[in-house]
Amino acid sequence: MNCLYIPTIAAADAAANASQAAESFCGISPVFWLVPAASILALIFARIFYCGMKRSEEGTDIMKKIAGHVRDGATAYLWQQYKMVGIVFLIITAIFAFLAYGLGVQNGWVPFAFLTGGFFSGLAGYFGMKTATYASNRAAWAANKSLDSGLRVAFRSGAVMGLVVVGLALLDISAWFLILNALIDDASQHHKMIMITTTMLTFGMGASLQALFARVGGGIFTKAADVGADLVGKVEAGIPEDDPRNPATIADNVGDNVGDVAGMGADLYESYCGSILATASLGAAAYMSASPDIQMKAVIAPMLIGAIGTILSIVGIYFVKVKPGADSKQLLGALGKGINVSSVLILIASAAVLYMLNLPNCWGKFWSIVVGLLTGIFIGKITEYYTSEAYKPTQEIAYQAKTGSATVIIAGMGTGMISTFYPVMAIVVGTALAYMFSAGWDFANISEGLYGIGIAAVGMLSTLGITLATDAYGPIADNAGGNAEMAGLGKEVRRRTDMLDSLGNTTAATGKGFAIGSAALTALALLASYVEELRIGITHASGKGLAKVDAIINEFALLGKDVKTAGLVDFMNVYDVHLMNPKVLLGIFIGAMMAFLFCGLTMNAVGRAANKMVNEVRRQFRETAGIMEGKVDPDYARCVGISTKAAQKEMMFPSLLAIAAPVAVGLIFGVPGVLGLLTGALAAGFVLAIFMANSGGSWDNAKKFIEQGNLGGKGSEAHKAAVIGDTVGDPFKDTSGPSLNILVKLMSMVAIVMAGVTVAYSLF
Amino acid sequence: MEKYLYLSLLPEALIASHLSPEEFGAYYATGVFRRSCGQAIFFELDKNFKSDFLPVDRIDELCQPHEDGSPHKSVYLAVYRVLEHVPLSAIKRLYVVTSDGKTLGLDEKPFEPDGEKLFMYQDLAPIRPRVISVLNPAEYVKRITSEDRLVHLDKFAFCDMKLGSLETDPENGDLGDLPYKNSQHLRDCIRAVQTKGKRNNKIFMRTLNGEILFRTIRRGFYVGDASGMKYYPLPSRDDLENKYYDWWRSALANFGE
Repeated sequence: MNCLYIPTIAAADAAANASQAAESFCGISPVFWLVPAASILALIFARIFYCGMKRSEEGTDIMKKIAGHVRDGATAYLWQQYKMVGIVFLIITAIFAFLAYGLGVQNGWVPFAFLTGGFFSGLAGYFGMKTATYASNRAAWAANKSLDSGLRVAFRSGAVMGLVVVGLALLDISAWFLILNALIDDASQHHKMIMITTTMLTFGMGASLQALFARVGGGIFTKAADVGADLVGKVEAGIPEDDPRNPATIADNVGDNVGDVAGMGADLYESYCGSILATASLGAAAYMSASPDIQMKAVIAPMLIGAIGTILSIVGIYFVKVKPGADSKQLLGALGKGINVSSVLILIASAAVLYMLNLPNCWGKFWSIVVGLLTGIFIGKITEYYTSEAYKPTQEIAYQAKTGSATVIIAGMGTGMISTFYPVMAIVVGTALAYMFSAGWDFANISEGLYGIGIAAVGMLSTLGITLATDAYGPIADNAGGNAEMAGLGKEVRRRTDMLDSLGNTTAATGKGFAIGSAALTALALLASYVEELRIGITHASGKGLAKVDAIINEFALLGKDVKTAGLVDFMNVYDVHLMNPKVLLGIFIGAMMAFLFCGLTMNAVGRAANKMVNEVRRQFRETAGIMEGKVDPDYARCVGISTKAAQKEMMFPSLLAIAAPVAVGLIFGVPGVLGLLTGALAAGFVLAIFMANSGGSWDNAKKFIEQGNLGGKGSEAHKAAVIGDTVGDPFKDTSGPSLNILVKLMSMVAIVMAGVTVAYSLF
Repeated sequence: MEKYLYLSLLPEALIASHLSPEEFGAYYATGVFRRSCGQAIFFELDKNFKSDFLPVDRIDELCQPHEDGSPHKSVYLAVYRVLEHVPLSAIKRLYVVTSDGKTLGLDEKPFEPDGEKLFMYQDLAPIRPRVISVLNPAEYVKRITSEDRLVHLDKFAFCDMKLGSLETDPENGDLGDLPYKNSQHLRDCIRAVQTKGKRNNKIFMRTLNGEILFRTIRRGFYVGDASGMKYYPLPSRDDLENKYYDWWRSALANFGE
């Protein structure tokens, strides 16, 4: 499988030599410039799509008014969130600065890298949400003309989000790579690459922290508003969903934007950066003993795959077009065509790039990418099977509704738990294959095997530009439906926006598969990157008179190894990382518990926030005359404010806990404890995330199945039971579940950034 | 200030008001402070009709604007045994109100049987059983108001409800989107009325416990006595979705029986 056995090796060598000769900027391969070029291209096309959306008609005055309320609420929420998060970022940056410049136990670039990661992640969420809030009424009005016009506006607006996320991520990555490459001065080119990649990893922590705040805060906001709007508006006041008389209805729509759009954007920005950076770091470590040129290529390979994916995602977006008068099947076909064309082209281009880079065993790496893509698609299909009302598992939950809400809850929990089997097995098989392909079927070739796992995660997310477009398109279509409903547009428009929304749900399942799968693979890669960061931490802290560090360096010396060149297994041996070490076992227990503790805290937070919203909606109905007659507008802003404040207050503790846990475990149990913690959190968190997302999704769709006219339809006893199931599932699928993936990665990132502190100051 | 006279079916009451039917519907369903919610069905009556039993001649005296000049929203003139004392000729439009106060006015139309052989009726006033019958609405009114029967009503109001595929296959037909409880008992009742030589009507539910889901109404509402029947058809599904969407959307949001 090695490239050396390919007959066309002469051509590849020639190409490689040519590229070496063309090295121009601080030893960086010219092909690297494809990365910043792709990022700028993505941002240009995002701008083109954004302007195109802004040029389309806004609809009637009432549509503009409703969209304005939602936009104002969403913007107010994000600014408030960024203010709070900004304070947290400044405090943490100050701590990092003290650790780096005061104690000298941390890389001096960390405070800056941390800040830019958070800034770009927030920016991606902000642009996506701004576009979505401008697009909802325009998509509704376009659907008034035809289904394909509605699709065009909603999908191109979703594409803005997809392209902004990948564009900003690649811009941040390439900028830091260039800066660090120019400024880090190290006699050894090999060690320089390790320094660069591990430093870049720390901006992943900024992105992860921003993403966790966005997901948890957005999730609490949206569910508090949703539950408040439903419980008081629908159940107590008897008014329909998306009714302008409901004071919480705007907050509900705002929640869709801040949770499903801004939260998802920050989340996937973090996943995308995390996978590329972790893989680059593993590449630097895996090829430490190869030539500097090969090591450099291994570092930039994941960035290049991301760049190619970005360019081909733009191509794919242009394949999403339908003729006027198209039906839903044709629309689904068009969306699928866009994703499929991008995926196939990315595979072909990735093969070409890996071949041109002439990395050792390049075809093995290529097959790792294929495995990554296939694993993502498989998880997506399985997710769809377990959560769509078109299939048996969700229909079974709906049938359980005939005997009441208790059996609905039991069935949903059971189905959610069973649904973890296939995704986990897919990750097990996918990880094993990606490892083995990359390691040349040699289990002992750990460093190349781990690089393969990282490359598989990058492969999975390489289509993010277009898969995120189909993800973000869903909430836009959903909001367009809400806008059409509130503005009282005709039946045909509502039918079309419903169809667009339904299509979004189908395509989003694939996106979810990629997000879940890549999170697991990236977290695995981050575990290995943590060990690389230990190397840097020890190097930094050496010679500062720290007894712990000196003892570790001595242990390496006793093994006849140098910290700078020691392998993964050497680190495991020196730190006693094995299952018989109680520090590892205790860490595993704490890590597994963290996943549950985090879920419990976020779910209770939704309950408390929803309670405040319910009281406010009741108060407005009670005290403001004329709301129910439609003569007086409710105070929408107050509901948005309540959800905003509650979300800000409630998101802090669980998020800060995620930062504190790896630091505390590291200071008490040291490196073995941290590795146990990350392993426990990954194993429990990954399975729990799938369970919660799928249970919540299947409860939601079981309710929809009944509302479609089955088992007595809307208003029946079965429907009442299914509504209870859906309400229970809301924080499962929209708050706690999606946050778990970020929690696992944030804990890994914190552990990575604080590796120097752990190495220097751990108690045991 | 104009005065209106209304005959509420849920509950049965004669009410005078200064509010127009739409305003009265919203008020009646959601209360003065709009803090409650509850479905309403009422007729607008000719306020000049004469009755020895009902105090309709006291409307002007009792229904006066408040001291601050605001309209009197409701003056209850009578409850219980109201419908039987209101002549059919005094009954004008019917108004159906969703639980959040959206009001839809229905006009009377001539009734034409549509050839159906099986019906489910929800009686609304004066009593509220749900009945399975092989009689069409006109025949059903004649039967229930027939003085030949030991138990009969002078006048009553009701609506007919959908039976879905049970109309053709009571044994195995699927209720689909029809939310009726006790489906096995429903099938038993259908079998009972379809068996030749047995009864024409069979009570399926002794009384209505909650609200009616308007989406389960088959053709519309009826009010009748031995002298005749008035029929108020619900608009077609297309018209509900296009012309009366606000009301229909609100009706679909209800939980009911």
